[in-house]
Amino acid sequence: MDVFLQQTVNGLTVGGIYALIALGYTMVYGVLRLINFAHGDLSVLGAYVGLVVLGGAAGGGGTQTLLVALAFVAAVIVVGIAGAALEFVAYRPLRKADRLAAVVSALGASLLIENGIMLIWGPQLRVFPQGLLPAGYWEAFGTRISLLQILIIAGSALLMAALYFFVHHTRFGTAMRAAAIDQDAARLMGINVNRVITSVFVIGPALGAIGGLFIGLYYRQVYFTMGWTYGLNAFIAAILGGIGNIPGAMLGGVLLGLVNAYAAGFVSSSWQGAITFALLIGILLLRPTGLLGERVAEKV
Amino acid sequence: MNGAVKTPAASPRRGRWSVTAGIGAVLWLAGLAIPVLPDQTWVFIASLFAVYAVVALSQDIVLGRAGMFDMGHAVYFGVGAYVTAILNLQFGWPIFATWPLAVLAATLLGALLAAPIVRLRGDYLLVATIGFNAIFVLVLNNNVGGVTGGGDGLFGVGAPGLFGWQLGSQGAMFYLNWLAFAFTLWLILNLERSHLGRTLGYLKLDPLAAGTLGVNAARYRVLAFALGAALAGFAGTLFATLMSAVSPGAFFFTESVTLFAIVLVGGQGSIPGVLLGTVLMFVVPQVFRGFAEYRYFVFGIAMIVIMVLRPQGIWPRSKGASR
Repeated sequence: MDVFLQQTVNGLTVGGIYALIALGYTMVYGVLRLINFAHGDLSVLGAYVGLVVLGGAAGGGGTQTLLVALAFVAAVIVVGIAGAALEFVAYRPLRKADRLAAVVSALGASLLIENGIMLIWGPQLRVFPQGLLPAGYWEAFGTRISLLQILIIAGSALLMAALYFFVHHTRFGTAMRAAAIDQDAARLMGINVNRVITSVFVIGPALGAIGGLFIGLYYRQVYFTMGWTYGLNAFIAAILGGIGNIPGAMLGGVLLGLVNAYAAGFVSSSWQGAITFALLIGILLLRPTGLLGERVAEKV
Repeated sequence: MNGAVKTPAASPRRGRWSVTAGIGAVLWLAGLAIPVLPDQTWVFIASLFAVYAVVALSQDIVLGRAGMFDMGHAVYFGVGAYVTAILNLQFGWPIFATWPLAVLAATLLGALLAAPIVRLRGDYLLVATIGFNAIFVLVLNNNVGGVTGGGDGLFGVGAPGLFGWQLGSQGAMFYLNWLAFAFTLWLILNLERSHLGRTLGYLKLDPLAAGTLGVNAARYRVLAFALGAALAGFAGTLFATLMSAVSPGAFFFTESVTLFAIVLVGGQGSIPGVLLGTVLMFVVPQVFRGFAEYRYFVFGIAMIVIMVLRPQGIWPRSKGASR
């Protein structure tokens, strides 16, 4: 029981991070029907940018919490700009082309960002400084939950709720949903579809950057190829929930985080990846468009 | 590919196609002289090109011709390589004796894995195949059955021998691979003109219309997967012999991504395109080993630039090509 509760806490933490990153995949897919393979690497870029800010924390005293906040702000701004730039350079020219051309462009962008990170910050593992946040934790029922875990779970939940509200209860969110359903019709209704797409490529990567920085703070290390590992997991989360569906990404992320944690706790971590993918393939066979995905009839 | 009338292509196109085929044949014959070159590194690179060309062409059957987004093709390549390595090293089979089994194992696995997923929509199929690849690598890494050698793989795969002749030298190995390459080209050219090839093309173009004409989509898709897997398995057994070793690293998901990108960068369903793509993604990196650090960075930029400038690939399938 202790292991179960503990792994639930751990799973919720990691699941929250997956969900944050999954949102970027799902938003882009919802509007453009494009799997943005570079999204995981953009998230990792966020962790590295945050680390640059935190690097100055070595001698600091009470200003550290402020510094952490500053790291988040810097990561969000840099990665948001990078996302918009990526869309402009690599995806916009291909919007009318074959869907797969954009996929290859996305794979190229992933290589570019991943190796760009390596060229700037080096191929070695980078460690996050210690003691950035007060190292508090609580114990109950033999389970330990740290302040950082609470911050990650609460932060992810809050951001997801905010995004949900933004997409479903604001004018711009309505425009986004309209563009996702039919770009041409949305354009005829006076919606600036280009602006919608650009903003999707700012919001998604910005959330991913926060997820990336959470990963850095939680595991206290980052490396340049990390984007594939975490990106793939987050992407699977998005697919599990039904890609293109925002609550689906949240559900998929939490589900995947929990399954991963239980697999590590009860089975063996060397088969963790296989369990993830078995779950994915199983769910796809039962529900071919994910848990919350809509069943779309083929258009004639 | 416009779905125009299906009469034999107009003569200028037919002519241009024959010119391409002729140049290709001349290039292949010229390639026979590679082992004579003074610099022996080229022999190995040419062998590697031949093997990867076979895998890339097999990926093209599934992705470019049948239109299924298979991003786990390295699985079948790996199965072929591992079956040969295991049978040779653990059971002492001669290399050529392992060929049928290696190809058969890849074919069956291809059909078996494809059968449940061919009804998934494009992107979901892509994710499922990524999953297959990840599980495959885990199976290899965790040394299932104690025969895969775990993360280190297997070393010392023997040289192929025929009636007492050992094809151990680089040159002999090259001719073997070069012949296999020619065989694959011949197979694909035949596929293009066959009932199966045309059906797959039609399925890709408009699955719904093909269905209304009585084409059993699921069956043909599984068939395409099995055929692609068979060829990939064949390339795999050649790879195991060429490297005289196999390890999980050669069959990672990233390898599948590279194969996927080759087909799209080169041109779907286009033989010269896929071969050009193979040169770009597998041979050029071998040549520029010295710039290892910047290699993938430049690769990434190149992939974006090529797709933006030529969304159909560098050498798209010509509209009249034997269809």
